[in-house]
Amino acid sequence: MIPTFKHGVKTKGRKKDTENMTFEEYPVGDFVYIPLLQHIGKPAIPLVEVGAKVKCGTKIGEADGFISANIHSSISGEVTGIVDMPCATGLPSPHVVIKNDYKYETDFLDPIQKPTKAEILDRCKEAGIVGMGGATFPTIVKLMPKTEVKALIINGCECEPYITVDYRLMLEKAAEVLKGIELVKCALGVNKVYFGIESNKPDAIDKLREVNTDGEIEFCKLKTKYPQGGEKQLISAITRERVPKGGLPSDLGYVVFNVSTVYALYEAVYLGQPLISRYMTVSGNGIKRAANLHVRIGVQLADVVEYLGLKEDVVKVVLGGPMMGISLHNFKSTTTKGSSSLLLLTEKEIREIEPTPCINCGRCAKACPMFLLPMVTDRAILNGDVEGANKSYAMSCIECGCCAYVCPARRPLVQSQRLAKKLIRKNKLTPA
Amino acid sequence: MKTKFLVSSSPHIGSNLTTKKIMLHVIIALGFPVIASTVIFGLYSLFIVLLAVGASVLGETLYNLIRKRPNTVPDLSAVVTGLILGMNLPPTVPFYVPIVGGIFAIMVVKMLFGGLGQNFANPAATARIFLSLAWPVQMTKFMNPLNYSNGAKDFVAGFTKTYVTSATPLVAIKDSIEVGGISSLNLLDMFLGRIGGSIGEVCSLTIIIAAVYLIVTKVIDWKILVTYVVTCAVLALAFYKDGYLYVLPTILSGGILFAGVFMLTDYTTSPRTELGRIIFAVFAGLFTMIVRRFGGMPEGACYSVLLANLIVPFIDKIVKPKPFGYVKPKKERKKKANV
Repeated sequence: MIPTFKHGVKTKGRKKDTENMTFEEYPVGDFVYIPLLQHIGKPAIPLVEVGAKVKCGTKIGEADGFISANIHSSISGEVTGIVDMPCATGLPSPHVVIKNDYKYETDFLDPIQKPTKAEILDRCKEAGIVGMGGATFPTIVKLMPKTEVKALIINGCECEPYITVDYRLMLEKAAEVLKGIELVKCALGVNKVYFGIESNKPDAIDKLREVNTDGEIEFCKLKTKYPQGGEKQLISAITRERVPKGGLPSDLGYVVFNVSTVYALYEAVYLGQPLISRYMTVSGNGIKRAANLHVRIGVQLADVVEYLGLKEDVVKVVLGGPMMGISLHNFKSTTTKGSSSLLLLTEKEIREIEPTPCINCGRCAKACPMFLLPMVTDRAILNGDVEGANKSYAMSCIECGCCAYVCPARRPLVQSQRLAKKLIRKNKLTPA
Repeated sequence: MKTKFLVSSSPHIGSNLTTKKIMLHVIIALGFPVIASTVIFGLYSLFIVLLAVGASVLGETLYNLIRKRPNTVPDLSAVVTGLILGMNLPPTVPFYVPIVGGIFAIMVVKMLFGGLGQNFANPAATARIFLSLAWPVQMTKFMNPLNYSNGAKDFVAGFTKTYVTSATPLVAIKDSIEVGGISSLNLLDMFLGRIGGSIGEVCSLTIIIAAVYLIVTKVIDWKILVTYVVTCAVLALAFYKDGYLYVLPTILSGGILFAGVFMLTDYTTSPRTELGRIIFAVFAGLFTMIVRRFGGMPEGACYSVLLANLIVPFIDKIVKPKPFGYVKPKKERKKKANV
């Protein structure tokens, strides 16, 4: 029996298009637009003015408080403006516009060969590292837990369909990822490491095992099931422990890191390179050439799709995975620290929402990895019953999308859960 | 470059299953017993089933026309209701019985309560009970299976002549409960459907094939069916004298298998959680066997469906899954008063 969590769905993997694609450097165009809000928390404070000369790695935004992150220039050139534009999430954010001089001069931090705990923490903060699995939570917060840490869990599941960047990273940069794990271990002061990988990536596990010399890392092959990479589900699969309702992994003494984040930390410490680029899968039937790109932060998505060739029959553009990503209405937004994939989907790949009446089949409840009753919340919130939605534990929802995925009535169940959560917060109800 | 795209909340992909596909699976599954019963009781029984389907579809269309609502027939749920109702009728009923039944099932039991997904009672079961009250004589006239030894002449005879009515195995069971011991029943005949009974319920073999089909396609939950049948079997052991003789005849006769596969598993009128559905099936089994053993009628499957439907809201209220990582709130202990 391969360990896994309870419930969840088996999705169509659709990773074939890009899983054998090695990383390809994306050539940046004339301008980059670097958002100062790329993380959860407050936007960074701009440090540069129009006309300033910057290099790759020059700090252009200073973290505003603890829950925030530094922002660095991803190219060398001249700042031509600081404009307000909506980010991919729809939230407005100031963007620093930089004109490319194509010299790519670097202004990195000093590489550290034998880092101490303090140096790692400092570097993590300075390099503006955030969780790169999609949540973009400032990593420094995770590295300074208030409670004792039993073990570190590395998330290499990549359970979202289409995306293959983490898989390629584990294959191509196995040694670097493992070095990054050493850094996190040092910063947290833990020995035990669990490395969770879905069973559909056996060669990544083999490769990591081959390169690994650290006896404290336990590689856990987990069932290929969505959302295996969800923090709570991952912990439950590996340790059989459940994060208490409304709690965090740290309540159990675990800290979860995504492989991409670990790799970013490696780059920041050993190469001195701040978080100015990331790996991104561009896939879907709507793109002429699917690819795993190494993109700099702040590249307009329009340029990326033009580079790879857009097909006419694209009907939906998704930034992030198809289960939890955000659909875009244009290509004006840019790559950020959290954009793990850009999907160009055709009519056949997506599922339109045409809600028909709920037939009470119970499939959503059977799929929900948080053991909720999505149909109850859906019904309550559509009737304006916020209290009822709260009583059906809407606040526990992780918005993974399993319920809506399986719903034969094609109801937008995640949307109603989100609405419920929003209204519960607005009405200041205590989560049930 | 194209500049307009669909924008919606995640997830952006989904399974291919739709309500219509589920209904289609059920219709395919119902096809097995329909074919069997046509062979067993002749073409007239198929005619009855089709009339019930036609009436159900007509009822839904009419209701939507009257209420000026979009046509909901394409979701095929009315066809399923019609089929199930038709198969619950004796094979000799006059043609107007399935018509009235189909319209009643859809317009009164389903649509008046809000249509698909909103009705609290199984339309087919309720309609059958309604028909039994309206035409008690016609609704209990059962016939023997056709005898093909004289050629296929009888196959179409149902339209013109009235068949000789006969007792069903249920009556034989009912008559012998006080005495104990039944010898007149041939289990193989009951399994293959060479017995009297309602159109769809006689051939256990095809119902089991349909059940396997529905379980494999993940349309129904096997737990409801198994729990229901096992409950009935255990109660047969307990209720009847020499109970072990009655276990198989009880399950193979009447509507237990049919109700377990097609009626109790109806999503709308069963509880929403797995545990709830098991409790529901236990109660349905209990109701069935109480009617059969202690009630005035030989058959209780249909009544049990309706009765079990009525306790669904109660089950749903009590059986609520605890969310992931649920921690029992600590009860505040009363401080002992200082002495």
